[in-house]
Amino acid sequence: MNFTPENIIFIGVLGLLGAGLYGLLVSRNLIKVVVALQILVKAAILGLVLAGNISQQINLSQSLAITVIVADTVVAVIGISLAVQIRRHLGSLDVIDVATLRG
Amino acid sequence: MDTDTLLVLLTISIPWLGGICVWLVGDRHPNIQHRLATVFALLGGIVSLSLLQYTQGQTVINIPLGGAFGDFTLVLDGLGAYLTIIAAVIGGLAVIFSNDYMKGENQLGRYYSLTFLFIGAMIGLVLSGSLLFVFLFWEITAFCSYALISFHNDDPKAVAGGIKALIITSIGGVGLLIGAIVVYAYLNSYQINDLLVGAESLPPSVLGLIAFGFLIAAAAKSAQVPFQTWLPDAMEAPTPISALIHAATMVNAGVYLLARFYPAFEAVPGWRMTVMLVGMLSALLAGIMAVVVYDLKRTLAYSTIAQLGVMVYAIGAGAILASQFHLLSHSVFKALLFLGAGAVIHAVGTRDMREMGGLGKQMPFVRVVFIIGAISLIGLPLTNGFVSKELILEAGLEHTPFLLFALVMFGAGLTALYSTRMVWMVFYGEPRGEKHAHDAPGAMRFSLALLAFGTMTTWLLIGPFSQFLANSLPPSYEIEVVKTWEVILKVISTPATWVALLVAFLGASLWFLRDRFAGFVASLQPLADFIRGGLGFEWINQQIIRITKGTAAAFRPTQTGLLSWNVFGIVGGLVILLVLIVWGV
Repeated sequence: MNFTPENIIFIGVLGLLGAGLYGLLVSRNLIKVVVALQILVKAAILGLVLAGNISQQINLSQSLAITVIVADTVVAVIGISLAVQIRRHLGSLDVIDVATLRG
Repeated sequence: MDTDTLLVLLTISIPWLGGICVWLVGDRHPNIQHRLATVFALLGGIVSLSLLQYTQGQTVINIPLGGAFGDFTLVLDGLGAYLTIIAAVIGGLAVIFSNDYMKGENQLGRYYSLTFLFIGAMIGLVLSGSLLFVFLFWEITAFCSYALISFHNDDPKAVAGGIKALIITSIGGVGLLIGAIVVYAYLNSYQINDLLVGAESLPPSVLGLIAFGFLIAAAAKSAQVPFQTWLPDAMEAPTPISALIHAATMVNAGVYLLARFYPAFEAVPGWRMTVMLVGMLSALLAGIMAVVVYDLKRTLAYSTIAQLGVMVYAIGAGAILASQFHLLSHSVFKALLFLGAGAVIHAVGTRDMREMGGLGKQMPFVRVVFIIGAISLIGLPLTNGFVSKELILEAGLEHTPFLLFALVMFGAGLTALYSTRMVWMVFYGEPRGEKHAHDAPGAMRFSLALLAFGTMTTWLLIGPFSQFLANSLPPSYEIEVVKTWEVILKVISTPATWVALLVAFLGASLWFLRDRFAGFVASLQPLADFIRGGLGFEWINQQIIRITKGTAAAFRPTQTGLLSWNVFGIVGGLVILLVLIVWGV
């Protein structure tokens, strides 16, 4: 395997994807869940830019990447604010406590 | 913009505009709502009639949507144009009838806007040249039907009836959607004309899939066996809605679909026979059920199923012209019967025929128009039902196995029996209700009189009607141009007519001889109870619901609500997908 820029970025995408999924699988703290989600989305954005570079459609990939960044920010903000509300109402940030939907 | 394009756009948009306007007026001004609705109804009806002049089978609108959506087209041909006129004109009359029928009801905005949405969607459905948009409008009409059946949403029966109609017609709609997607996959186009031309180039198994998919959709929409159970329960709707949606227009969409694609599917092995069987079974079973029920509107609902069955049977027999002419006749006389029943129900306050009786003296006008409708339903001379039904029976005698024909004929005898029973129980005999009934008020009379006039005259249109269809449809529909007087002479001289009249006479006289058979009838009581329960079809429905709920409950433990498990499921799914792709499946 050659260490061309594309390959290095591809490994980066896979690494971010793995880190994000691992975080989602194991973390029980809601804030950590949001952080893991962010890492996952960053992998997706990087993947988009990489795909644009390979297929020579830079414009399309960049505009898609910016769209994802905007959507992702909204997700992060709402996720954090939900976490704050849950903490206030349930006194806990544990996803297993939240899953019962009692409060 | 050409005149025909403008007129087509107007016929679809006037009802929709009307719906929005009536809704915007607000429920605090019911009088303005009634008047505005009447104006739009009249306008829509008149504009739709002007389409007659411009119908040549041309594509009036073509908007490419790109990608997998194909083109949005509206095609103005005979089949679409006459169904448009039925939807707009009978829709208009039902709206005018509602002026009196819905007086004093709350939430008229919801009522009128849904009705207008339905009328516009129905016109879109029959004019659309793209299968994808046929499906879209198909589902809009199903939604309007559901929402209007459940209009009295504080009544659990109305809500249940609406949901049942929605579920059953949507299940059928899946058949239409699958058919449309398969057509697109093979012909790279959703256009109906492309399917009609390219049907022969499709592999036989694929064409069979499309044909039977469409048949399921049509059977569900037109309440044919085994999907017929939703229509009687839909009778919880306000009566003008029953007349419009569940007698004159929406339930005809299935018959329309079969007729529209008949040239493409006629060569599919077994398709025509299945269509004939479905139609015959519906006509027969619904006729049997209509004889035993006591609810006035349910009797009419079962007779609608039976008449639609006769039309479906005619399509199977290859008699497109006869089936479409019967559709026209049926729309007019069944709308008349339903609106007449509406006037009775409005006056008496019940739908149970056991509590009516002797209403003829109190409501002479309604009695006259109702009997005209009933005569047409039985198929006696001088009404439109006579000519159209005899045309179907004649074609049936020529082109179908004798056993099928005989069973359909038996269904016609049942029609005479339950029609006579219905008229007798409502208008004659001793009054069994306590309430004094008043004859129909002005707006009701207007609609009823026009429909009664139509019932007695539209049979004169058979000549122009055949000319109209033949001019604008491709020759593959095998429409034979006929002259009115030739048809009348042929109908009078053919043996099928005399047999049918004899059968009708026997059926009707059975009702008057009922006292002779009193003991026999009493012994059939358990059977009648079984039939009233829906002939076991209701039991099948319940079993399907039970199994669905049981399966859902069995899968309930997989929904842990825990984030980690859900992510695990997603990752697992992704891995499986990746493995499959790498494997190259």
